[in-house]
Amino acid sequence: MNRKLTNAVFKIFVWAAMAASFGILLFLISVLFWKGFGAISFDFLFTPSSNFGAEGGIVYQIVGSILLIVFATLIAFPLSLGFAIYKSEYVKSSYVQNITDTLIYGLNGIPSIIFGIFGLIFFVNLLNTGISWFVGSIILAIMILPTIILSTYQAINSIPDSFRENALALGLTKWQLITTTLLPRGLSGAFTGLLIGLSRAIGETAPIMFIATAFSGVTIPVGFFEPVSALPTHILALAQQATNPQALQNAWGTSLVLLLLVLIFSIAALWRRVKFSKIEY
Amino acid sequence: MRNILFLSALILLFNACSKPNTKTITVAGSTTVLPVVSTAAEQYKKAHPDTRIIVNAGGSGVGVNQVGSQKIEIGMISRAITSQEIDQYPDTSFQTHSIGKDAVVPVVSSEIFDSGVTSLSLEQIAKIYRGEISNWKELNGPDKDILVIDKEKSRGTRHVFMKIVMGDKEADAPGADLVLGSNNEEQTAVVQSDAAIGMLSNAWLNEDVKGISIIMPDGEVIEPSLNNIINGSFPITRNLLLVTNGDPVGGARKFIDFILSKEGQDIVTQNGYVSIVQ
Amino acid sequence: MLVSYNKIGKGYIMLSTYISMLIALLIFIVLFINSFDAISQVGLKLFTLEWNPSKNEYGILSMLYGTLSVTVIALTIAIPLGIGTAIFTSEILPSAYRIYVKSIIELLAGIPSIIYGLIGIAFFSTWIASFFELASGRTILTAGILLSIMILPTIVTLSDDAINNVPKKYREAAKGLGLYPFEVIKNTVLPIAKKDITGAILLALGRALGETMAVMLLIGSIDKIPTPFYNVLSPGQTITSKLGREIGESAFGSLHFSALNTMGFVLMLLVIILTLITQLYLRKSNRLYE
Repeated sequence: MNRKLTNAVFKIFVWAAMAASFGILLFLISVLFWKGFGAISFDFLFTPSSNFGAEGGIVYQIVGSILLIVFATLIAFPLSLGFAIYKSEYVKSSYVQNITDTLIYGLNGIPSIIFGIFGLIFFVNLLNTGISWFVGSIILAIMILPTIILSTYQAINSIPDSFRENALALGLTKWQLITTTLLPRGLSGAFTGLLIGLSRAIGETAPIMFIATAFSGVTIPVGFFEPVSALPTHILALAQQATNPQALQNAWGTSLVLLLLVLIFSIAALWRRVKFSKIEY
Repeated sequence: MRNILFLSALILLFNACSKPNTKTITVAGSTTVLPVVSTAAEQYKKAHPDTRIIVNAGGSGVGVNQVGSQKIEIGMISRAITSQEIDQYPDTSFQTHSIGKDAVVPVVSSEIFDSGVTSLSLEQIAKIYRGEISNWKELNGPDKDILVIDKEKSRGTRHVFMKIVMGDKEADAPGADLVLGSNNEEQTAVVQSDAAIGMLSNAWLNEDVKGISIIMPDGEVIEPSLNNIINGSFPITRNLLLVTNGDPVGGARKFIDFILSKEGQDIVTQNGYVSIVQ
Repeated sequence: MLVSYNKIGKGYIMLSTYISMLIALLIFIVLFINSFDAISQVGLKLFTLEWNPSKNEYGILSMLYGTLSVTVIALTIAIPLGIGTAIFTSEILPSAYRIYVKSIIELLAGIPSIIYGLIGIAFFSTWIASFFELASGRTILTAGILLSIMILPTIVTLSDDAINNVPKKYREAAKGLGLYPFEVIKNTVLPIAKKDITGAILLALGRALGETMAVMLLIGSIDKIPTPFYNVLSPGQTITSKLGREIGESAFGSLHFSALNTMGFVLMLLVIILTLITQLYLRKSNRLYE
């Protein structure tokens, strides 16, 4: 009898945990969509903000966020592709493998605000770049490096050795082997990793708030060493005025736009993962 | 390889698009001065479409730091530059430009104001911040614990307020319950509470955030009205300042002159501050 | 021609490797060097209560306490909730739905932390204030609850993987003995999945320690340990919220800046060690979890 009772209690606990978890998650999503849709309009998306963001739209915040991640991609993608090929094709000793693993996982574990402080010290102060969107892109690129490297590495590493042996037996150079056989799979993996990385990078506030963004007066930057506005830092400014209904409304609108951008990347990544996980050799 | 080519192509394209004759002025600092400067920047750009003015918040401390390390042309501050800050940047000769006047007003939640606590002496306020008075009951208000809202240490509003109330601009406030940053954030916290006291720029007062009058040692009660700020009888006033490294030149000079002009001073008044002309 | 392409190719690969590794080391070195002033000049006085840059007092105990207490609250809520939910998705939910439910949870893990901060300010802080009849809803508890929601998806998906990876035959054998589902899970499934679930919790812990934006907006940012110390309905300060609020206004090169840096460095070491333990020793899979 006692066992039966325990089992029943356990069952209730599991169902309750499930209900609570999904209740919370459902609440979050419905709040964001409900509040956000009320704020989004054509004007909101395509006019610049004014009066501390309480009026006007967020066009330059959208532009700034996209600029940040486009350049983060341009920096991170080639670097991680090269590193992943190195890790998969050139490293023979397990000792070096361990070092690279430690570096990648270590880099991935660094809290996002630490990246911001690193950027502030190294770029803004030591290299004296000033507040610059380009520095923001570099920092976001560093943040997403581990994700892309591992995704690429897994894709390349899953190619059976017989492919490599055959290619070399045919007299291909190592570089030809890489470009003809390994890169197509590697690029695919890198792309999936990139999407996961970008879904994270575009929503980050802490790394860019000291080093890359400004509050008002920003249009399209005309050089590399200028600040931009970005969606997450805009929400930060608006969240501080949470009792001003207009500002709060714009904060919800900005949040929904940001969330949709995040979802575009993460759904694309998820879709690719499901699709490509079926490839077998 | 392709990626690198693509990258260089993009950089070239990007630079080609930029107009070399566009001048950018960067401004950062006090959230008290921010409204004036960002409205002024919007107006100024209408007349000077080739100038871009980027305005950033952060507080007076950030304004001084960034001018000191010569990362921006103009800093916004709502307090004096401290001697420590001057020592910190020996290569920078700070020059301040007064663009308006403002009062720092002790504010309370509207519930407290409506219950009859509409004026306090400086000594009473100091006791609240020192933690010696912790319930509104002691000030003839409702029986509620006081939510004492303090600001980050380098904020201009705090320096000015603490200097007058506690006698030291960097005084500790052991009675504080919350420490917040910008005027907006402080205003929000006061509105969200029904028993709060805080310090705000005069321009942030509204029906939910009530500025209280100050009882002077001679018993006179002084309201935080614009008149009292203009004639100097309200005890906690300050200048709104812009700070530059040496004499401003070029675009920065023109922009500061614009704020000092009649048109610029109208913006100061519209934002709830006192023009320097008055 | 072929040979030179081969060389350029190898050059590119080696260059990107060196750059990537250099960056990782650089972050470490830069933070270490900038912490040096505070460690040598403030020394053990870092472990005091008073933080007052104008008097050159840099005690980080309140921040350490805040980080610790917020994290403990977050884990206390998220671990039972997350593992319970994971048991549901892996043991009770029909497996045809599992992939969809898991996908949705993984998407939720991607909500940016600043959005959690906004929701926290607009809803949670006012709820906490009226529920506990507090003057202000910006408390350690509020930040902890919000943080628990943020790490919930991590715990759920990883624990679900862990439980689901336990081979069917163990369950069959246990059921064959006439055990109730609870006993099967408690005595057979969870012990096998324990290592991976621990990994999930450690990763969630790492995320909670390093979370900045939501905590910074909600914790009240006062450098104090509440009295009594377990009174989590008081405001507090974490390492990350302190950094987020103060690093911009401290002058680069000053002792103040260095002291903030030291806190960041300590936090970084802590989180990196946690991450490495999880990734290198607890899980042998190469998947990255955030």
